[in-house]
Amino acid sequence: MADIPVSTPLRRSLGWLRSRRLRRALSEPATLMGLILVVAHLLLALLAPLLAPYDTSALVGAPLQHPSWEFLMGTDQIGRDYFSRIIAGGRIALMVSFLGIAIAVVSGTVLGIIAGYIGGRTDEIIMRIVDAMMAIPDLILIAILILALGTGPGALIPVVAVVYTWGVVRVIRAKTISLSTLDFVRSAELRGETRLAVMVREILPNLIGLLGVELAVRVSSAVLRISALSFLGLGISQPTPDWGLMVQEAMGVIFTDPWFLLLPAIMLSSLIIGVNFMVDGLSRAFGITTAELG
Amino acid sequence: MKTPHVDVRNLKLVYKTGPQTELAAIDEVSFSIGKGETLGIVGESGCGKSSLARAFLGYTRPGARIAGGALVVGGVDVFALTGEALRRYRGGRAAMVPQNPLSALTPHRTIGQHMVELIRIHNAAGNISPTQKALDLLAAMELPDPSAIFARYPHQLSGGQRQRVVIAAALVAEPELIVLDEPTTALDKTVETQVLDLVSRLQKRTNTTLIYVSHDLNVVARMCDGVLVMQHGKVLEDGPTKEVFNAPKTEYARTLIAAIPKLRTGTRPEPVRLATAAPILSIRDLDFSYGGKRSRFIPRFFAAPPARQTLKDISLSIAAGSTLGVVGESGSGKSTLASLVAGLVGGNGGRIMFDGKPLSGLAGGRGRDLRRRVQLIFQDPASSLNPQHTVEQIIARPLQVFFGMTRAASRDRVVQLLDELDLDATLLTRSPRQLSGGQQQRVAIARAFACEPDLVLCDEVTSALDVTVQAQVLQQMKRLQREHNTAYLFISHDLPVVAEMSDQMLVLEAGEIRDYADTGTILTNPNSAYTKNLLAAFASATAHSTKRTFQNVS
Repeated sequence: MADIPVSTPLRRSLGWLRSRRLRRALSEPATLMGLILVVAHLLLALLAPLLAPYDTSALVGAPLQHPSWEFLMGTDQIGRDYFSRIIAGGRIALMVSFLGIAIAVVSGTVLGIIAGYIGGRTDEIIMRIVDAMMAIPDLILIAILILALGTGPGALIPVVAVVYTWGVVRVIRAKTISLSTLDFVRSAELRGETRLAVMVREILPNLIGLLGVELAVRVSSAVLRISALSFLGLGISQPTPDWGLMVQEAMGVIFTDPWFLLLPAIMLSSLIIGVNFMVDGLSRAFGITTAELG
Repeated sequence: MKTPHVDVRNLKLVYKTGPQTELAAIDEVSFSIGKGETLGIVGESGCGKSSLARAFLGYTRPGARIAGGALVVGGVDVFALTGEALRRYRGGRAAMVPQNPLSALTPHRTIGQHMVELIRIHNAAGNISPTQKALDLLAAMELPDPSAIFARYPHQLSGGQRQRVVIAAALVAEPELIVLDEPTTALDKTVETQVLDLVSRLQKRTNTTLIYVSHDLNVVARMCDGVLVMQHGKVLEDGPTKEVFNAPKTEYARTLIAAIPKLRTGTRPEPVRLATAAPILSIRDLDFSYGGKRSRFIPRFFAAPPARQTLKDISLSIAAGSTLGVVGESGSGKSTLASLVAGLVGGNGGRIMFDGKPLSGLAGGRGRDLRRRVQLIFQDPASSLNPQHTVEQIIARPLQVFFGMTRAASRDRVVQLLDELDLDATLLTRSPRQLSGGQQQRVAIARAFACEPDLVLCDEVTSALDVTVQAQVLQQMKRLQREHNTAYLFISHDLPVVAEMSDQMLVLEAGEIRDYADTGTILTNPNSAYTKNLLAAFASATAHSTKRTFQNVS
């Protein structure tokens, strides 16, 4: 009679989609808006080839036309349909960011768990390498990598991976250290589990939520970074449509036709804001504090 | 019959649990307290006692609201107060002593700054300076060297000193009502006794009305004139302490009171097992120090921390199937002892022998068989069970590691183990956070017994549990011991619990053995002054209150 029966129904595998926490998170307008923005951006990026009325690199009309039914957002300086280019402008940056960050999160997690759990000299060596890498200003690091790897989407993926791994290592190491103090890790050690088993079986499952947040936050940051690189001429190059590149092209006509600048800028910021709102709300609902995000 | 000082009528407090749903944490509660009297509110976790305590200060937790009823303190309707009036009331007429003084004090401000600020807010200094008033209050708390305490930061004080400081802070404006929320739960027994004595002396002087909210029935029995037993937000019993404790009217109160661990000093059956059975664990001249090691990477100019001797000359033995209880207060080294035997820490002096084989170093370096035969159960199941694993995964893991069982084969055994601890097989797929504290700890016990151990080290295994759950778990542990002939090293600060469980007892203080004998001998005829003190602290806590009679105004 003393034990109060727990009435919480089982919904582990059926998933978090129906969980109360998720519903509560989505009842906040900011979180819901963020989620809608992110989903819209993902759909747009996936479906852009189907939605675009024209080929993104074909010269289809006179340059710098104003919006019309024929060209929904007008044409750019050399006569390409701006609408087709705007909806396709995030595809490459998103894909490169996602793949690059996926590599960064995986390698950062491996290094972070090892540093945090094994500790001692292993930790010292890994963390000093991390410190050294983070001490190099990002743009210089990127410039060196691009010099070595060349430009183009294929080269940008490893660039993103290298730049973003170190931050992930720090976050995962910190969380691993706090998890390692818990008694279930002691219990596994007393059973004689190998270090690998403790890291994979005991610690890793407790990092999943944090990893999801890491992935989302860093993808949005990487998209911004790639756009900046494109703007500087180091990232994606013509004729591929890309928001950063389009902002750079629009600089020449900024006073006469400002929407050429505004449209890609709005696309870029709505993606970043959407991801940030979504991650903020979800991580709060799932109890991941911002302190853990480093 | 005088007018009650505190009068609660049909109080209802609800928590919002969903967009349309609410849960009553306090349901139509009515009672009253006379001026200068002491009321104890007892109940197990989740019964609404902490919500009730907050209501006395007109405070509700986020998500909660007062759904009806009235709470009158000295003629003031607390729920009618707003803004400045409510602010004046809090601390001025009613004050609260929080459960955890460390989180109630701002870490970067000194004790003096805390006190002086409060004194200024309430204009409580009168014709002396606020600083002098603060020093007087600290002195009244019988704190040694008040001016030194005044200049210190919260983390520089001991737990008992912090508790005295927050009581002093509550007394600043000489309130007529003080609510103490689990005031001594975090303290050692001997310190608890001192703090409680101090509070009752102060109360006699100032004629303050006190409300003790506690799960510790011993504290309530000792301090309170009247007692309120709560369950699921309702009052089950309300009457003079003696009456409620000696003749409880409801079944729940009876269970609650029967579950209080009591010191039984009467004759106990002779521990026959000790004479015949060979020792499963024997320890000779065990020494252990923490610290003193220097990190390879820290530069030389940081001196290594001095080694701190945690255990000194410990010798003991446990016969197979028997229980050795280890009692000591925080810092006595009792947990270190368990860690050494379990192999969580290594590097000790002396010898630990298990079943004739040396047991030394970390668990990873011991053979698989030794790791299986010695099991450790941790204090806090919320920490010792991986929150991402299911109950089945948790209990099946040792079966796979030690007996090479497949998942399918381990399933039946897991169900059987759950059954031995009166847990239902439907719990298999639950995660630990879906279980109650008692269920969690029983899962942890099942995990230990899955290894078929010969020695189980129990480190404060029931300290986090409610008394009735504790009584249940202890019974189950005794049964498991009989059925499997397992030896226990049972460690706790709670002397009555240890006495209940043990054939022999060992009293530790500051890493040294103060007493080591059969349980009966320790309880009736202890050797050391330290043990005598400890026994006295628990005995006085167990004795029922014989204070002024409680006046039930209704």
